[in-house]
Amino acid sequence: MGRYIARRCVQAVFTLFLVMLLLHVLSTLAIQLNGSPALAYFGDRSPTEAQIAAVEARYNLDHPCYDQPGNPCLGPFAERLGSYATGDFGTDLRERPVTELLAQAVPNTMRLFAIVTITWLVVGMVCGSIAARYRNRAPDQTIRSFSVLIDAFPVFVMLLVYKYIIAVPVGNWMQDRFGSDSTWALLFKPSFSAENPWLTLIVPGILLGATGGAASFIRLVRASQLENYNADHVRTARAKGLGDTRVTIFHIIRNSSIPVVTAIGFVFGEALSGAVITEGLMNIRGMGGLVWTAVGDSDIPVIISSVTLIAVLFLMVNLLVDLGYAALDPRIRYD
Amino acid sequence: MTTHRVEPGTRFDDGVPLLAIDDLAVEFRTGDGVIRAVNGLTLSVDAGQTLAIVGESGSGKSVTAQAIMGLLQTPPAHISSGQIRFAGVDVMSLPRREHRAICGEHIAMVFQDALAALNPVYTVGYQLAEALRVRGGMSRRDARRRAVELLDLVKVPSAKSRIREYPHQFSGGMRQRVMIAMALTLEPELLIADEPTTALDVTVQAQIMRLLREIQRERSMGLILITHDLGVVSDVADDITVMYAGRAVEQANVMDTFAAPAHPYTKALLRSIPRVDQKGGDLEVIAGRPPVLTDIPPGCPFHPRCHYAQDVCRTDRPDLYVLAGGRTSACHFASEVIADVA
Amino acid sequence: MTEHTTPVPGIDPDFGTGPVTRSLWSDAFHALRRRVDVIIATVVALFFAVMAAVPRLFTATDPKSCDISQSKIRPQWFDGPHPLGTDLHGCDVLAQTVHGARPSLLLAIIVVAASLLIAFLLGSLAGYYMGVVDAVISRALEVFFTIPFLLAALLILSLFRSVEFGHGLFAVMLPPAIVLIMFGWVEFTRYVRASVLETKNLDYVMAAQTLGASDVRVIFRHILPNAIAPVTALIPTRIAAIISAEAVLAFLGIGIRPPEISWGISISRGADWFSGGYPHLLLPALTCLLVTILAFVVLGDALRDALDPKLR
Repeated sequence: MGRYIARRCVQAVFTLFLVMLLLHVLSTLAIQLNGSPALAYFGDRSPTEAQIAAVEARYNLDHPCYDQPGNPCLGPFAERLGSYATGDFGTDLRERPVTELLAQAVPNTMRLFAIVTITWLVVGMVCGSIAARYRNRAPDQTIRSFSVLIDAFPVFVMLLVYKYIIAVPVGNWMQDRFGSDSTWALLFKPSFSAENPWLTLIVPGILLGATGGAASFIRLVRASQLENYNADHVRTARAKGLGDTRVTIFHIIRNSSIPVVTAIGFVFGEALSGAVITEGLMNIRGMGGLVWTAVGDSDIPVIISSVTLIAVLFLMVNLLVDLGYAALDPRIRYD
Repeated sequence: MTTHRVEPGTRFDDGVPLLAIDDLAVEFRTGDGVIRAVNGLTLSVDAGQTLAIVGESGSGKSVTAQAIMGLLQTPPAHISSGQIRFAGVDVMSLPRREHRAICGEHIAMVFQDALAALNPVYTVGYQLAEALRVRGGMSRRDARRRAVELLDLVKVPSAKSRIREYPHQFSGGMRQRVMIAMALTLEPELLIADEPTTALDVTVQAQIMRLLREIQRERSMGLILITHDLGVVSDVADDITVMYAGRAVEQANVMDTFAAPAHPYTKALLRSIPRVDQKGGDLEVIAGRPPVLTDIPPGCPFHPRCHYAQDVCRTDRPDLYVLAGGRTSACHFASEVIADVA
Repeated sequence: MTEHTTPVPGIDPDFGTGPVTRSLWSDAFHALRRRVDVIIATVVALFFAVMAAVPRLFTATDPKSCDISQSKIRPQWFDGPHPLGTDLHGCDVLAQTVHGARPSLLLAIIVVAASLLIAFLLGSLAGYYMGVVDAVISRALEVFFTIPFLLAALLILSLFRSVEFGHGLFAVMLPPAIVLIMFGWVEFTRYVRASVLETKNLDYVMAAQTLGASDVRVIFRHILPNAIAPVTALIPTRIAAIISAEAVLAFLGIGIRPPEISWGISISRGADWFSGGYPHLLLPALTCLLVTILAFVVLGDALRDALDPKLR
């Protein structure tokens, strides 16, 4: 088992390096194609001379490689890696350190994801188990068509609908009835409130969880439970005379949890994209919101560092998922 | 539910065998129609006796085994008629929990594909001990000790260290031994082995069959051996029931059946076993295919493939006729078949 | 079950053989044909495909001829020249919605087609030749997979924001298309590779190889056909995802850009005015987007169920 962990960790680090290299190469290319390296950092805004000079100095953009389209600019890459290693992620266009921005943003995103994960697990396990148990009958058909529908709604559209069509009128009504500081009003507040982080995150979290992957979970739980219902080892367990409850928990659910755990890694990627949209539309000051506003402001330095960080996060989650997979399925371990 | 220990050959009262099946019929209701998997089956097994149930895939033998154990999923399966009596008690009339209680404790089953039949995520020791802890009320330590004993019993070497291993780490033959050990944990009186050697090499097959025979003798268990392989049967079984299209078509003791089969199907099966002393000839096969179970032919279900078929076979379904010596055969022309030694 | 060659009198060897099994595809087709939701979804998808191809069938008005003095007119339905009203700049909303179908669908089709090509090429190379080729491609898969594609799109397209690629629909579509293809080939490639790995050890492939068939022939005729089914099931879902991604990118201003029209752009403009009493600026495009996506997702789901033998 130890060897497996070590191997996966090494792979993860290597992949991370490649990811950062890829991002670097792509952004370098974009900068080079833009003609004027420093100007690229300002997107479509018009900076002052002083700002251009500051960007050039800070980001080492007077390096000749930026004038040669196609040059991967490994020198600046190494330098950037070096500063990342020391915790220096640069500043945004307003000279605020990115690490400071992140320190404020990360807790909110973590809260959001906590709610999202709970939603996935609860909705996935409950609906998937019901669908499996009543396979091809009414509950199964309803759950399946419902989950298709929910899956169909891109997070983006769902949130637009929620924000404009539901949250505003409902929120106002709640405010009138219960007061603007009440739990109900805060639940349906169409934007984030730093004093009540959890409350204002619940609905966005549930929506993100539901549209950004719950359907995959439901489908997966259902399929793997069905596979296990009719599995030979379940028949053996019954033949041993074990009761239904024990068979269901120890032999069906336990075995069907394996693919579900691996799904987390896969669905997480979708959820990260979804989080950017969710936080953006709902004005949540999390990592996704950071990216969203940065795109809107064309604040390239922030975009690069936060996308890199998000990639790191994703890799770590995948690593954990792989380790969890090995813990749950002994066949993987003894390879 | 009485829990008697049954001595070899003893019956509780007149003619009460360990297991008795009477005219069992099991249907599967599917979108394509009603499948009659078992279509009127009668047999019995005594303590200390080995009964082999032989037939092709689709003949209904596994379904029968699962019906005995109460493992059939209803729906889509449906026991439409018949009785299954264990030690005189009609198991199907018992409440579900008591029926389940019989499983494992009185009747146990060994399955065909041990790799699929064992749970891959638990150690062998855990699975052996599970029934002991949950149903036998043993402590974890006692259960583990007993698990090692059981592995020794089925001759798995280094049992003590192997109980910590997972099913995928065992070879096929060893896994099958584990399955047998698992079946024996609660000391059942009747063991059903559903194609226990089909997935194994020939040499391993012989070992496993020998093991089953030994265990059965030691404990005076009843043993039902379900297989499609007649070669395996001759060493081990006392009696044979041949099934075709969900019904018994011949029942006799092993010697009689092999020497002079009383049903064309049995005869054809025996002929199709390749023999070492047969050189250079074609392999005998049974022409045609087993019937589709939603569409069983009228009359005798075997008539489309039968060398002896006459007009009456196409219209009249033969009952299980009782012949001399306690044999039965579901053929209008049983005596001709017996006499025909070709 | 071999049939004996000399027929024996009185025996009917074919008695009781079951229904002839059809191929996976015709089985799937028959299963799908009966489902109401699939029929509706197909009709909807075709409807919008036609709208994208021939917008003139649906409206004669030119979406780009905008009269600022006519801005923000409410829907006139059947009573006037602007059935769905006009937008901020005085452009006809119906025309904008109808013409907005083309970029969204076209982008999706181009991206999916290109991704499929790349996927079949790389997936078969990786699966068939293994070794170094596979190592490189698998690493690439992992690297691209790690970056959620929307994030990569945000990053790269922001950087390219001020770059002019020319005029016209194709030029404007190019940046988002490239980015979406770059991150879209991953999923398909995985399936193709997995399918190739599964199939290449099958007996009939080895038979073809021993008969001297070239690698290319073996791959194209014997292995790849097996990869088509799992991948096909993914296509409609992927189309839906791309349509939605385009909407998001346009909303943020980094996708298809004005003066071209797309649903995403209409939505981004209309969102701000929605609660101000002008729902007609947001709703038509939003509804079309929603309905189209729903249709493709239903199709994708149904295809997946129909083509997966295990789920039957």
